[in-house]
Amino acid sequence: MARGKDKKKRKLEKKQEGDDVPKKVPHTLESLREKDETMLANTEAEEQEEAQKDMELDELSSYFENSYEPKVLITYSDNPHAKTRVFGKELSRMIPNSLSRYRQRSSVKRIVQSAIREQMTDVIIVNENQKQPNGFLLIHLPSGPTAHFRLSSCKITKELNKDHKEITTHRPEVILNNFSTRLGLTVGRMLGALFHYEPEFRGRRAVTFHNQRDYIFFRHHRYEFTPDGRRAKLRELGPRFTLKLISLQQGTFDSKRGDYEWIIAGRRHQMETSRRRFFL
Amino acid sequence: MVIAEDKEVDIFVASKIGSFKHIKYHTDSTKNNKKCIENLVEIKSLQKDDAITSMVWGNEEQTEILIGKKNQQIQVYDTIQGFTKSYTADFGIGDVIGLGKHKRRLLAALSSGVVQIWSKKENVVVNTGGKLDKMKVCDQDTTLFATGGEENDLKVWRIGEAAPLFSAKNLPHDWLQLRRPVWVSDLTFLSPELLAVCSRHGYVRLYDTRSQRRPVCNVEFQMAATCMAPAFDDRHVLVGFGRGQLQQVDLRRGKPDKAYKGAVGAVSSVVAVSGRVFSTSLDRHLRVHQGDSKELLYKQYMTSKLACVLVQTATTTPLKREDPEVKEEDQVEGTEVKEEDMDDIFENMETIGEKPSLKRNGDTGITETKKMKPSTEGSTVDIEDNEEDPEEAIVKLLRSTEKQKKRMEKKKREKKAKSVFHNA
Repeated sequence: MARGKDKKKRKLEKKQEGDDVPKKVPHTLESLREKDETMLANTEAEEQEEAQKDMELDELSSYFENSYEPKVLITYSDNPHAKTRVFGKELSRMIPNSLSRYRQRSSVKRIVQSAIREQMTDVIIVNENQKQPNGFLLIHLPSGPTAHFRLSSCKITKELNKDHKEITTHRPEVILNNFSTRLGLTVGRMLGALFHYEPEFRGRRAVTFHNQRDYIFFRHHRYEFTPDGRRAKLRELGPRFTLKLISLQQGTFDSKRGDYEWIIAGRRHQMETSRRRFFL
Repeated sequence: MVIAEDKEVDIFVASKIGSFKHIKYHTDSTKNNKKCIENLVEIKSLQKDDAITSMVWGNEEQTEILIGKKNQQIQVYDTIQGFTKSYTADFGIGDVIGLGKHKRRLLAALSSGVVQIWSKKENVVVNTGGKLDKMKVCDQDTTLFATGGEENDLKVWRIGEAAPLFSAKNLPHDWLQLRRPVWVSDLTFLSPELLAVCSRHGYVRLYDTRSQRRPVCNVEFQMAATCMAPAFDDRHVLVGFGRGQLQQVDLRRGKPDKAYKGAVGAVSSVVAVSGRVFSTSLDRHLRVHQGDSKELLYKQYMTSKLACVLVQTATTTPLKREDPEVKEEDQVEGTEVKEEDMDDIFENMETIGEKPSLKRNGDTGITETKKMKPSTEGSTVDIEDNEEDPEEAIVKLLRSTEKQKKRMEKKKREKKAKSVFHNA
């Protein structure tokens, strides 16, 4: 009861104050996140320069110099069920110049070998458990890095009561949101490098990778500007899923003998020291 | 504690993009800050193949560092003079994976499996028969060097001899009668006869060249070992792993001993010096652990993926930045003088309107007064405070604290009233 009264009081006070008082920004875990030393924004000029150089010289730099068109292979774990298959198909609709193939009991290392031979630039492997897609392995070719994500809350277009025929073949715009730490930047760059560097704005398609509290939310929209040109109306198109980084590996896939750049397995309690600490 | 309070340790760190840094690590943790780090290579000039793949001390006084790069360049860095010499190891393909010095001869190994020994008279090339991952020269007896790589087991060579002194023999087949794979990722001399080896297939082995060709001790792990270094005790080694673990292995008992926690990415190189463990990792951090208590003492983000670390114990090197800073200040002063000259010129010029000059004068006057103000104010306030009775001041203080207390209590009560749990 007391609380409700308080609310009324507060509302009254607000009215009295009028509209000139600036809106308060609520505190969230995100806005109160612990300061991360690897965030590019808080570093000094010299370090920023080095980080920039680091990015210029890494394996993904050739994509950002627009020197090649990405060509993506999408494959699954063995004997995928319907949902995973459809999901892969939809991924291939979303990512331009990509093809979906069954795995045929081949090992990841062999897939990587043959994909390099076929001049693919990225390989995506969708894992499945209990008929639900649950793993997302992204390998950049020819020399890494490899990111392993946990895939959750996957909704294919049918489950969203949408029609896949609405998805046009135009190259989409890519929005990478909130990737702020050094690790986050690498992951964001990897995800961005799946798509063609030149979007076709005619298609008005946008895919979003939005990072919030280390979960990467994927959404796919078609947008339309309102007649006054102030806002954009959105229509969600196609699959919807969430990724969470499990590990980032240097080089192509080699879980046993490879060198990891970042891995959370075995040290989660050491790393997750606070609810306000995020890695991406 | 082995090191007395607040001693400085010089750390040299090389990275995968080719940057090379000097860090002055203070054992007194409060003194460590970002100013203790300086770049020794111009970052703007780095190219794609400048990655540093190996780094060792060039002499016993630890004033010379040999740096091997991916583009087969070998550079000599003097801790005082800077880069002095450079060589090109174009006698084979692959990156420079091992360097060493015996008197005035320079040894360099390439990942394709060739080791070259430069001397004044002639260059000798040794083919080790397979890929190489590591070559190291023995510190106690610099005529000895050891090599190892993927499917190329440990071999110990003497400079000037064509055949290896010692070549290791693999363990017998396992219980399924299958050959055990070999992949030496790093090796280290514990003494001229004792060598330890670690592997990407997850074993750590100790070889005694006097007794037998098979390892004296074999410790198995489930993860890929990437680097190793002798630890503090006899027959103890530190082993870094590809999944970010750093462990001390006791090769007498044949068991892992301690684990140093903290790394999030693969440990790329490790050094144990005077009771401390220095390690670099692919997660771009340099870490210092206390050797016996395993405590993490120091952690620093270095912006690029680190490849090698060296710790200077014999001598110390001052930070170079201290000198340039002085110079910079001089330069700044110089420019200021120039600006003043310019001002003079402008002032001497005939102006059409008088206002700007007046304004400038006014500005300067204001700034001057501003500068004066705080000091005078402070002093007067102090004087006033002093003139007041001390008892009165105390009473005032008490009152104010009481008021504060009341306010706090009020706030608390309000909070309680608001909270859901209390009402429930």
